[in-house]
Amino acid sequence: MAGIVKPQSGFVITPHKVSICILLQVYAPSGQLSVPFPFASISQHNRLGLFLIALTKSCDDILEPTLDEFLKLLKEFGGLLDNWLSDHVTTRLSSLSSPDDLFTFFSELRGILAGPETSIIDDDQINLDPNSNLGMYLRRCLLAFNILSFEGMCHLMTNIKTYCKEASSPYEMSHLDDASNDPEAPLEYENMDLENIVLQNFTQELESRKRSAGRVPFHNHSSKALFSLVEDITVSPGQKVKHNHRSQTQTHSPSVESSDVVLQRTNWQIQGYLSEQADMIEKLGSSFPMSAFESVLKVLQKVAPELHRVHFLRYLNSLYHDDYPAALENLHRYFDYSAGMEGSDFVPPLSFVNNGRYEIALLSLGMAHFHFGHPEVALKVLTEAVRVCQMHSDDTCLAYTLTAICNLLSEVGISNITGIMGASDSHVSTSLSVQQQLFVLLRRSLKRADSLKLKRLVASNQLAMAKFDLKHVQRPLLSFGPKASVQLRTCPANVCKNLRLSSQLIHQFDNESSIVTVDGALSTSWLKNQEKPTTTLVFPQESGSERNCDTFYSWLQSSSVPGSVLQLVGSSYLVRATSWELFGSAFLARSNALLFATCFADSSSSADLALAYGKLIQHVAVYKGYQEAFVALRIAEAKFLSVSKSGILTVKLQLLHERALHRGHLKLAQQTCDELGVLASSVAGVDIELKTEASLRRARTLLAANQFSQAASVAHSLFCKCYKFNMHVENATVLLFLAEIHKRSGNGVLGIPYALASLSFCESFNLDLLRAAATLTLAELWLLLGPRHAKRALNLIHSAFPIILGQGGLELQSRAHIAEAKCYLSDSSISVSEDPDIVLDSLRQACEGLEALEYHEMAAEAYYLMAIVLDKSGQMEQREKAAACFKQHITALKNPIKPKDPLVNLL
Amino acid sequence: MGVSKETCRNELRTAIRHLTDRCLFAASKWAAEQLVGIEQDPAKYPPSHTRLQRDCSSIRRRFRSTDEITATPVAGTSYVSTPVPEEESEDVDSDFYLLAKMYFNCREYRRAAHVLSDQTGMKALFLRCYALYLAGEKRKEEETIELEGPLGKSDAVNSELVSIERDLAAVRKNGSIDPFGLYLYGLVLKAKGNENLARTVLVESVNTYPWNWSAWLELQSLCTTIDTLNSLKLNNHWMKDFFLACTYHELRMHNESLAKYDYLQATFGCSNYIKAQIAKAQYSLREFELVEAIFEELLRIDPYRIDDMDMYSNVLYAKECFSGLSYLAHQVFMTDKYRPESCCIIGNYYSLKGLHEKSVMYFRRALKLDKKYLSAWTLMGHEYVEMKNTPAAVDAYRRAVDINPCDYRAWYGLGQAYEMMGMPYYALHYFKKSVFLQPGDSRLWIAMAHCYETDQLRMLEEAIKCYRRAANCNDREAIALHKLAKLHSELGQSQEAAFYYKKDLERMEDEEREGPNMVEALMFLAKYCRAQKRFEEAEVYCTRLLDYNGPEKETAKSLLQDIKLAQSGFP
Repeated sequence: MAGIVKPQSGFVITPHKVSICILLQVYAPSGQLSVPFPFASISQHNRLGLFLIALTKSCDDILEPTLDEFLKLLKEFGGLLDNWLSDHVTTRLSSLSSPDDLFTFFSELRGILAGPETSIIDDDQINLDPNSNLGMYLRRCLLAFNILSFEGMCHLMTNIKTYCKEASSPYEMSHLDDASNDPEAPLEYENMDLENIVLQNFTQELESRKRSAGRVPFHNHSSKALFSLVEDITVSPGQKVKHNHRSQTQTHSPSVESSDVVLQRTNWQIQGYLSEQADMIEKLGSSFPMSAFESVLKVLQKVAPELHRVHFLRYLNSLYHDDYPAALENLHRYFDYSAGMEGSDFVPPLSFVNNGRYEIALLSLGMAHFHFGHPEVALKVLTEAVRVCQMHSDDTCLAYTLTAICNLLSEVGISNITGIMGASDSHVSTSLSVQQQLFVLLRRSLKRADSLKLKRLVASNQLAMAKFDLKHVQRPLLSFGPKASVQLRTCPANVCKNLRLSSQLIHQFDNESSIVTVDGALSTSWLKNQEKPTTTLVFPQESGSERNCDTFYSWLQSSSVPGSVLQLVGSSYLVRATSWELFGSAFLARSNALLFATCFADSSSSADLALAYGKLIQHVAVYKGYQEAFVALRIAEAKFLSVSKSGILTVKLQLLHERALHRGHLKLAQQTCDELGVLASSVAGVDIELKTEASLRRARTLLAANQFSQAASVAHSLFCKCYKFNMHVENATVLLFLAEIHKRSGNGVLGIPYALASLSFCESFNLDLLRAAATLTLAELWLLLGPRHAKRALNLIHSAFPIILGQGGLELQSRAHIAEAKCYLSDSSISVSEDPDIVLDSLRQACEGLEALEYHEMAAEAYYLMAIVLDKSGQMEQREKAAACFKQHITALKNPIKPKDPLVNLL
Repeated sequence: MGVSKETCRNELRTAIRHLTDRCLFAASKWAAEQLVGIEQDPAKYPPSHTRLQRDCSSIRRRFRSTDEITATPVAGTSYVSTPVPEEESEDVDSDFYLLAKMYFNCREYRRAAHVLSDQTGMKALFLRCYALYLAGEKRKEEETIELEGPLGKSDAVNSELVSIERDLAAVRKNGSIDPFGLYLYGLVLKAKGNENLARTVLVESVNTYPWNWSAWLELQSLCTTIDTLNSLKLNNHWMKDFFLACTYHELRMHNESLAKYDYLQATFGCSNYIKAQIAKAQYSLREFELVEAIFEELLRIDPYRIDDMDMYSNVLYAKECFSGLSYLAHQVFMTDKYRPESCCIIGNYYSLKGLHEKSVMYFRRALKLDKKYLSAWTLMGHEYVEMKNTPAAVDAYRRAVDINPCDYRAWYGLGQAYEMMGMPYYALHYFKKSVFLQPGDSRLWIAMAHCYETDQLRMLEEAIKCYRRAANCNDREAIALHKLAKLHSELGQSQEAAFYYKKDLERMEDEEREGPNMVEALMFLAKYCRAQKRFEEAEVYCTRLLDYNGPEKETAKSLLQDIKLAQSGFP
């Protein structure tokens, strides 16, 4: 933490310290017997001693407790003695009425210290060892008093007076003027309890937000994993580790905090508080209470104008609330004041280096622009950061910057970046495509991070690498010369390897925990624990102590892995889930998402969590139907403070759209789909995944309305866009969809090439499930060409069956069953009337699945087929049943009943 | 002028009496200055009477011919005549009041307040509160120094504010408050951060008693935007013109401000205050010659003046006038060395001498005397830039900006510092801020354009836009035109390039400057006209090029031959 606080200009004596001294005097009156006057037993005496030790640990305060708070604290410890002790303190304090009284008081204090020559003469006598904790404290106080000028003494006098007065009379005014001359909210900053203020306002804000919970979907970008990186360097590694320890003590929701902070006042603690809040902002994103925290920061700034970290917090706060001008202003202000030196351990202190580390400012600015969705500007700024890093040979920052650029490139669609990386990549010819440049950059930054031993960065680079491998085919980088024969396929093994490597990180932090435990933080937590009702760690005979020990140790244990590491490891599981989703193992995807949601929910950002929940909910919807998915959604929604700003909203819209399509509510489908599109930023290249999804859904809606040419044109332009931004995985889907359009329009011949193209994409990207779907579509297309091709179609379907039945969702399975049945029906070599069960079985399964999905159109088809088969085989009773079902679905499709679901009210 | 000089004079005389009686010294000083500033009719008074007023119009005579700023005559403004309030019967409380006043004069504020503690009457109440206020202020200043902690904690407050506010609010409520009480009430409210109420209270005060300049000044500091200014409901009084002129200046509406002052000078022809204010406005418009002349005259009339002299030193600095600056520094040093302005002037002097460490020391001293002394922070930033200590410079500039976010010089300094560190893109943020605040200053535009033009960015289109702005706003050094021409030719837009080269050429001819730029312009134009087949023009340029030595001469010769050939080819 060097460099934040100017070297302690002194241990300043304050009224609070005077009252501690009074207690010290009570604890160790000079020349008394073993159990001095007010104490009844030794244990009582020891108890006071322990209390005093805890108090002395939290000195160096910015803000100290008022007398009231102090007395309250004393009461909790004092037991029977409390009245006597607090009376004693107050009377003693009020008896100090002239500077000379102070003088005598301190010379009396000197008497309780045992001189060096008085070796233990009498065992019974209590003397304070000058080298003990309390003795040192007393000596510091004495020294501080002795060097006090007369002015200082006068100040101490007036301070003691106000200190006593505040306790006896209720507040008249706080001497800190509220700058925001707002008469309705007079905050009593002086006895403020930072977190309580936050909390109060927080709940207020939350309520008001609930009231005004509009249908306005909020725009939210996500790049939090990156942000943890910035934090990593602006806050030094060591410190980061430290505050993460502290954040462990907090549970996910801030509401747990309400009861337990009184003494969060030391410099260390304020720093810790700020870091903690930074974590919270990051985690909660835009649902963090903005204005409340802002007012706390304003107070802090007033009390400690040289504590520049406050500006950084203000920056973070406005960043996550999408307040662009304020964020920029505060970012610049922070770095102007701190020169990037604040809080960094790995540079020599300010006096040695003259030129500051403004490259960090550039890095942060770049990230901010990235967050706000200005990729072009962000890239410019980051390029400048690279240059400045190289100029000042700041390798660490360079590594981070390169990683940031990688993330930017991989997340934002950029079709052309010639010369962006300029000097940094002079050896890479600009003829390479964006993807190739990204690949080179990724490898370089991975190597750099590795050589600098930045473990977290290595892990996050490996993660980025895995993401890259997931979606890109390896190509030779050489544009001339002999080319090694390269298989044009993605390499799942590489993805797995990188993912595994990145989650290795967690082991490397196992054994570092003991070093970073900070004394200040420890004592705070101890004090916190003390305040809990049944607490006294010190006296094992009393009840409840065991529990207390437990909480204490569990605190120690839980903090063994820093939060940023957990976050990284967590996101590696998310990437795992995504990769399995693509590779076609729905169940592995689900289990990874589940693992993330259970193990990393506390340490990850709310956006990540929303993503994981989204995956799980989608899974439920695809495999169990909508009813259950909506139940799950409701559970998930309860975990987020504001749904409208989180990723859950996207999931909700997706579900609603899907269901509306299945039920045939095309108007509703159109509406939800438009809502989804609005969530994305309007800047080209930003939010690209959301945009592709929205337009794919639009095309699907059009198809459902039988607007074939329009659907095809939307799909076509989508294909062009994906091609431009090198999104081949999405291309496979789009191609398959084009095939689907032709299938629906009855134009089998035109559809087949699309299906084949999609198949080949799927093969080179190892998209197994999608491949099965494509095979199915291909089979259906063949079937469309006439009964001659039924055999071929059947073969295709059977080849895809293992994956479809193993991993496919209800819809896919049902479709496969229906297609199979159709094949059998059109195959003249098989007589259905003789062996109806081969068809009926699959049709029955199809019907079950489609019922769950409420997919009226296909269900009607299935029942229709079933009725025909039953008719042929002469099972009249069952035929009637099937026919009735058919009719039911048809009518449901023709006149869609208004959905009663409350979720729809959202729209 | 709506009111006669004599009326003004009488009003001011009474006002001075009132103000002095209430120990509002700054305001009465100001009023007295204006009183003497009203031009006397020389026929009526003997010369000794106008000693302080001689040559007061020499400047106007000197500069009137060159730049005629016609004072927009405020046609048909009808001034309301504010009745001069009758004094309370003075002998009731006069003995105690006199004693309190004397204590006050000896700066024993608390004593003064104590003497008046039992006295009734608005005048006594005012003096008591005012004395308490000043005592609190004094204590606050002392505490600020005593309490400075490791994190710069200095939350010293005037502890008397609460009680004063309570008393005055009560009096205001029962309606017996006088304008002076209102002024003090406004002061207290402002210190407590209740700006809206402070504004209304101060407006009340100046409407009932317009001659208290301190009240106007407080009101001015609360008018940070033109909208707030326009929303004030002020009576028309000639004091309002002073106020408006001053506020316009603070809102960077320099021409409006100058017009007001010109208008006021018709009555207050010899007012030093107005002269200094005009100098201030002209300084912002960068009319250094005029400013220097004004200050020379001011010093002649009032040689021990320190107010505003830091600006004079800036002008001298800009003109690199070593001896003048040293003379000024010496003079202010002898007059009062512990004035922030004095320290600032000395700092400027050392800076001009290139002794930056010493200069920083004096700026620091100035800042110690006045922590919110804006120009000292900025100037200190400049010094640190000179010393290549960019982090310190950035820090200093940032403090200036945080004190007054409208200080375009500090924003510019920040930009420069970052550009020096090789972060042009980052610097752009600051340059943007500075041009936003001072869009008429070509230097800022040029600096910004330069930033865009750097090797790292090469954003030439943006650079061109900036240079164009610079060229449009009176670019003295004529950098912009040349740069524009060059950039356009670099981008292959030869038509635009030719246009700007031509303009640059015209300008150089106008100012009779020669140099490489001239050769470059001629060369380009010759080639361009040749390519455009405008042979005659091309010939003219080539012949002019023949006057210069060097390789260009040869090129010109061959071009001429070329042209002749081409002309003969197409008769």
